[in-house]
Amino acid sequence: MRANDAVNGLILILLAVAMFAVTSTFPEFPGQPHGPALFPRVLASILIICGGLLTWRGLAARRAGERWVVLAPWTREPWRVVSFFLMLISLLVYILVGETVGFIPVAFGILLSLFLWFGVRMLTAVITAVIATLLIHWFFSTLLRVPLPRGWLDPVL
Amino acid sequence: MDALITAAGLVFDPSVLWVIVASAAFGMFVGAMPGLTATMATALLVPVTFFMDPVPALGAIVTATAMAIFAGDIPAAMLRIPGTPASAAYTDESYAMSKKGELDLNLGVNLVFSVLGGLVGVAILIVSAPLLAEIAINFSSFEYFWLALLGLTCAIFMTTGDALKGITSLIFGLLINCIGIDPTAGYPRFTFGSIELLQGISFIPAMIGMFALSELLRGSVTVDEKGAVLAQKVGNIFTGVWAVFRKYWFNFLRGSTLGVAIGALPGAGADIAAWISFAVSKKFSKTPEKFGTGHIEGIVDSTSANNSALGGAWIPALVFGIPGDSITAIVIGVLYMKGMNPGPTVFLQNPQFIYAVFIIFILANLLMLPIGWAAIKSAKQILRVPRNVLLPIILLFCLVGAYAMTNSPYGIILMLVFGIIGWLMEENGFPIAPAILGLVLGELLEQSFMTSMIKADGNALMFFERPIAGVLGVLTVLLWGTMIWRGVMGRNATVAPT
Repeated sequence: MRANDAVNGLILILLAVAMFAVTSTFPEFPGQPHGPALFPRVLASILIICGGLLTWRGLAARRAGERWVVLAPWTREPWRVVSFFLMLISLLVYILVGETVGFIPVAFGILLSLFLWFGVRMLTAVITAVIATLLIHWFFSTLLRVPLPRGWLDPVL
Repeated sequence: MDALITAAGLVFDPSVLWVIVASAAFGMFVGAMPGLTATMATALLVPVTFFMDPVPALGAIVTATAMAIFAGDIPAAMLRIPGTPASAAYTDESYAMSKKGELDLNLGVNLVFSVLGGLVGVAILIVSAPLLAEIAINFSSFEYFWLALLGLTCAIFMTTGDALKGITSLIFGLLINCIGIDPTAGYPRFTFGSIELLQGISFIPAMIGMFALSELLRGSVTVDEKGAVLAQKVGNIFTGVWAVFRKYWFNFLRGSTLGVAIGALPGAGADIAAWISFAVSKKFSKTPEKFGTGHIEGIVDSTSANNSALGGAWIPALVFGIPGDSITAIVIGVLYMKGMNPGPTVFLQNPQFIYAVFIIFILANLLMLPIGWAAIKSAKQILRVPRNVLLPIILLFCLVGAYAMTNSPYGIILMLVFGIIGWLMEENGFPIAPAILGLVLGELLEQSFMTSMIKADGNALMFFERPIAGVLGVLTVLLWGTMIWRGVMGRNATVAPT
């Protein structure tokens, strides 16, 4: 997804203005002109200049015929679009239910669905998903002592 | 001397050696897989190294990156796909050699000169770092301010693409770094009441997101693309390498020293070192017409350069705490986590760690010979690992890695957000490395800036009064001037036709 530089520039300017606005709530210290707001304000000002230059350039490109937003060719193929979002959704699912359901079931589910969607054969997919899940669990949970959530498997583990 | 013995004791510990061998194999694999880069290898390793002592942690990163940079040459020669961006400069040349039936010689030269180049890089690192540290010990906040600014400026100056987008990316990284408790007054900024944002954006999940997740997202839409099939058999790769060395020893020396110099410049790493030394090689060659037809000369220069650049990048990282490339940017994050604040004081307080890094560097480069040979021999098997199996496993690895940094889903949320930001940035031509550099250097820059501002009390000349600060300051201002001038000229050129 490639946006015209004017769009990028405008987003950056909005971000910088918002940050500038937030810095006005920062406390001032009497007798000390250089407070916590100084550095972010300097950065936000530079970002506004950069955003302005980008916008200017983007508008020139726009006049030359560039579209506001150009989508990559793969976005017209539903299979690839789903592949892309499936990666993001997998992470979202883990964030939402990982703590209650536990690492092993969720990780196995994520791996298996991604494998199958990407066209790995059923048997290979199941075996690889089991081995990879257990291996990563063993490595991080047992070897490195990361408290991966146990969830449903708590009574078993 | 005592420190050296302690360092050797730290490195030659069975468990550390095991870590080094394992990360060597890991680095070879990641480097040889097209689409997975040396930086990604580091990003994936960091969550693991988090749980190690400093020496094995540094050992794992040093070894894995050295291997990955060499391993990128293997698919370049066999499939015409560089394994890492550092091999891109001479991929066509290598592939042309393979087509001429010189695959063995090409791989042999790549392996041997990568090892030698790496060793030159370490040698220069060993000699120059302590000397620089002695100068750096007298630095005040003014010098550090200019140094950090100069480092960031170099990072933009060296980006081959769009300077304006480089600056924007950098400023974005610095602004992200402002989130959390501010370093001088201790006031919580941009936290919006969140407790987790108080300690700032956790660096490692953000980095895994920007370097690894964004790469996976890009890979996910091309997962069904099949690589070319390689039919050529690999014979004895070491035949003829000695003859090449005798003929092109000067190219090797030139490439490796150039590589160290470019590696030491903040922001420019192995890939840029390879491009520049390949260009230099062609410019000064007696037979420039042979370039492009499968000629070994340019490969000698650039394959030495990209490995020596790795050592070079560690010079500013260890001495000033300013990363030479995106790999050392990650390393500096690791050093801070280990309580070893990089800078000249490490050389005084923990010299054994510095010596340990040197020893590991030498060891890793020597280890590259057998492991690299094994990787070349098993290249067929490595390159056959299907991407549709690899991608989901790496995704899970990223997920657990990000989780392990915060022991809560917060790490994964950060990784997800920064993964999407990183992907969008790359899609729109904003380089990622400056943003990461900004995130790493932000605190040093703000702290030295605020301290200097308070000391100077409004008198801008104070920033230039001390001799070294003055030189660094003038240099930085000059670089900015050049960049603005270049920007104005460039824009005129692009706007004129419309």
